Amino acid sequence: MGGRGEKKVKSIFVQRKNIVYTIIAILLILFPFMNDSRSMMILFTQVFIFAIFAMSYDLLLGFTGIVSFGHAMFFGIGAYAVGIFMKQFEPTLPYFLLAVVITILITAIVSYVVGLLTLRLKSHFYAMLTLAFASLFLVLAEKWRTLTHGNDGFTFRTPEIFRDRLDFYLICLVSMIVVFLLLNRFTNSPLGKVLQAIRENEQRTESLGYSVIQYKIIASVVSGVLAGFAGILYSVSLRFVNTSVFTMDITLDALLMTIIGGVGTLIGAIIGAGLIEFAHHWLTELAKVHWIFERWIIFFGIIYILVVMFFPRGIVGTVRNIKLKSKKRVTDKSEQQKAAG
Amino acid sequence: MTIQLKLNEVETYIGQFHILQGISLEVRKGEVTVLLGRNGAGKTTTLRTIMGLNPSTKGTITFNNEEIQSLPTYSVAQKGIGYVPEDQGIFSELTVEENLKVAMKNESDSTKERLNYILNLFPDLKKFWKKPGGLLSGGQKQMLSIARAYVNDNELLLIDEPSKGLAPIVVEKVMESIIEMKDTTTIVLVEQNFMMASTIGDHFYIIDDGQTVQNGPMEVLKEDDEMRRKYLGIA
Amino acid sequence: MDVFFNLTLNGLATGMLIFLLAAGLTLIFGLMDVLNFAHGGLFAWGAYSGTWLYATTGSFIIGILGAVVTGLILGLITERVIIKPVYGNHVQQILITLGLMLVLSELLKVVWGPNQLSATAPDFLKGSFEVGGVIIIKYRLFIIAVGLLVFFAVQYVLKNTKIGLVVRAGVMNKEMVQALGINIKKVFMLVFMVGSGMAALSGVLLGPYSGVIHAEMGMEFAILAFIVVVIGGMGSFPGSILAAILVGLSGSFMAYYVPDLALAANMLLMAIVLIFRPQGLFGWKG
Ligand SMILES: Nc1ncnc2c1ncn2[C@@H]1O[C@H](COP(=O)(O)OP(=O)(O)OP(=O)(O)O)[C@@H](O)[C@H]1O
Ligand SMILES: [Mg+2]
Repeated sequence: MGGRGEKKVKSIFVQRKNIVYTIIAILLILFPFMNDSRSMMILFTQVFIFAIFAMSYDLLLGFTGIVSFGHAMFFGIGAYAVGIFMKQFEPTLPYFLLAVVITILITAIVSYVVGLLTLRLKSHFYAMLTLAFASLFLVLAEKWRTLTHGNDGFTFRTPEIFRDRLDFYLICLVSMIVVFLLLNRFTNSPLGKVLQAIRENEQRTESLGYSVIQYKIIASVVSGVLAGFAGILYSVSLRFVNTSVFTMDITLDALLMTIIGGVGTLIGAIIGAGLIEFAHHWLTELAKVHWIFERWIIFFGIIYILVVMFFPRGIVGTVRNIKLKSKKRVTDKSEQQKAAG
Repeated sequence: MTIQLKLNEVETYIGQFHILQGISLEVRKGEVTVLLGRNGAGKTTTLRTIMGLNPSTKGTITFNNEEIQSLPTYSVAQKGIGYVPEDQGIFSELTVEENLKVAMKNESDSTKERLNYILNLFPDLKKFWKKPGGLLSGGQKQMLSIARAYVNDNELLLIDEPSKGLAPIVVEKVMESIIEMKDTTTIVLVEQNFMMASTIGDHFYIIDDGQTVQNGPMEVLKEDDEMRRKYLGIA
Repeated sequence: MDVFFNLTLNGLATGMLIFLLAAGLTLIFGLMDVLNFAHGGLFAWGAYSGTWLYATTGSFIIGILGAVVTGLILGLITERVIIKPVYGNHVQQILITLGLMLVLSELLKVVWGPNQLSATAPDFLKGSFEVGGVIIIKYRLFIIAVGLLVFFAVQYVLKNTKIGLVVRAGVMNKEMVQALGINIKKVFMLVFMVGSGMAALSGVLLGPYSGVIHAEMGMEFAILAFIVVVIGGMGSFPGSILAAILVGLSGSFMAYYVPDLALAANMLLMAIVLIFRPQGLFGWKG
């Protein structure tokens, strides 16, 4: 088996992949101009937003091996920050940008503190503490009525540029692509390689002289900030925010999307987001046919469990494995033929 | 004499590290077989592999003519192999009494007899009967650990460096006890203290870099300064 | 004085419910390094099945027993089907138990509908009585009694029986337990079942205490139980009751004086413990 053959397969693979990605991106940009279903456009916008959220989760889980059960809190912080600023002040771009800065600050601080507290301990602690922190934020959002209007939440107006659905669709799409490219860059950088080394074997990475805890905290902070960004887009898309952004359901969305889509692949998070959002859309409609579809999430819960058990690499990882194997077989064969001929 | 335990070309990985790369040895019934070798040679790993704590990936381990290399640890122990680990493995929050009770498979007369026997050998244990194991001295922990392995009707004991960190007088005590137990039990002993190893050992094996490299009756090693220097760094 | 007494009683009752939930978690964790994020789901299943059984049969005792049996059975299934295949892989375990939590709560809604159910105490536990000028609500006292009873029963088993010794030893050093010829996985299965049964008991007891039950309460209580497990020390059974009482009391007093900060206070307590004593106030494991 020649190493060269393998490399060639890989580079063809990568090239082909990039072409496919580009075509899909172009199709998505053209989509609203070809199809004028408003609900489809809104649905796609949701997919883009949750794809960003899921990718931020993938950075933690898939690339660093950290399990967070409180990712909703970052999402919620972003959602509320923008809502509160638009409501309390004015729905203008400067205030919006201020809300973004505040989101970055708060999410960075919170993820830093949580990481500092628990990332040196067993992985259970981080999962548990993030879960508890998220519930704390939920309570905060329920109780701090002057700012949040309690459970019911509040509507708000958004800056001019976000008002057009088409523009907003494009903004979210571009944001998703940018986040994808950035994270792709990030995970392939030396720093990203260290993160992956941590995921594979924490002790060994530590013994190679890396301060594992610091790297983990960096991942946790980057992930938290991106999740906050997704939350901002989310509440802007709805022009409304309520306590549901802090609930476990949001975290579960991220989990289902990354796990089913395929951890550690980024693209898996995007595919997962599409899958879950569309399923949510279609299956809720089916609830009229049979009430069981009201509980559509149960199917995904079961799929999720099966995926964790049997296909821990999700859709994308599994497909890639199969592809790599069959490609390898093909090149092996052709090399054999060459050798024979 | 019958062979009680036999390792044939045993290999073990810990994580991705290839630690044991070919361990072959035969332990004869009623003898004390001593494993020697430098620090990090793989002595502890050999014992852990026999116990199934670090399962082997290749080779066979035969105990009383039965292959045990793929059994889980508890089944290996149930076959009649007792283990005294390097760190003694005392349950620190359990009292001396409770530590022994966990080990006892039953309350039969023979078990009680063995318990009495070992308590007479180590009167300290009786003295601190209700003391948590974690508060015992190093020597007392060693005694407790040996006692715990002994109370059941085990045919074979694996003892890992019982003299480690003990004062000479305590070492002697532990040594005496092993000599006493020798009458009824086969013993595999890992021991760096050559005085002790040569006094109670019948047969030796030298492990180096995860392989058994030399073996023979203890007398041979006692006389072979060259071999001792080469593998053990002592003259 | 009256208020103080009432708050204490309240806190103790809540503490006992949390203890019943946390005890299983802590032992399961101590033995096998498994943190069961579906524990709250078992709690909610106990609440629903017990409340439903009580409503259909009219017997509170049957309700309670039914809940416990439900917990034991679900615990057995969970351990065999969900946990066992992923032993030794922390990340997979954590992920899979949360998935189970999702499925369990959704299944609850499938079986009993998405709305909350109301739950009442049986007649003999309704109302209150007066002792020396203070009014004591019977049902709270009942919860405290059941909690203490379970605590002492489990404590007795842990201290005085072989299986109890094995469990305690296993928490400290599971390799050694196996080297002594004990199949720790069997022991673990048993502990998992008992822990699940206790969680279910906690759930069914909560019903009449809070008046209503709903599927989300599983997670709410589980979070308190996690806090207790951290404070009490993972793997420490006595630690779990002390920490649970602490959390229950602090919750009850805070809820009276500064209601908005009740959860925050407990979280703060947990954060402090994590910083200074990650092995817990009463635990020995890191
Ligand atoms: N968990 C582990 N992970 C990686 N390597 C290990 C592990 N345990 C042991 N080793 C390595 O395996 C080798 C053999 O270790 P082992 O403990 O068997 O040696 P030993 O002969 O008992 O040494 P000593 O005399 O110091 O007790 C050593 O090089 C050690 O570093
Ligand atoms: Mg050793």
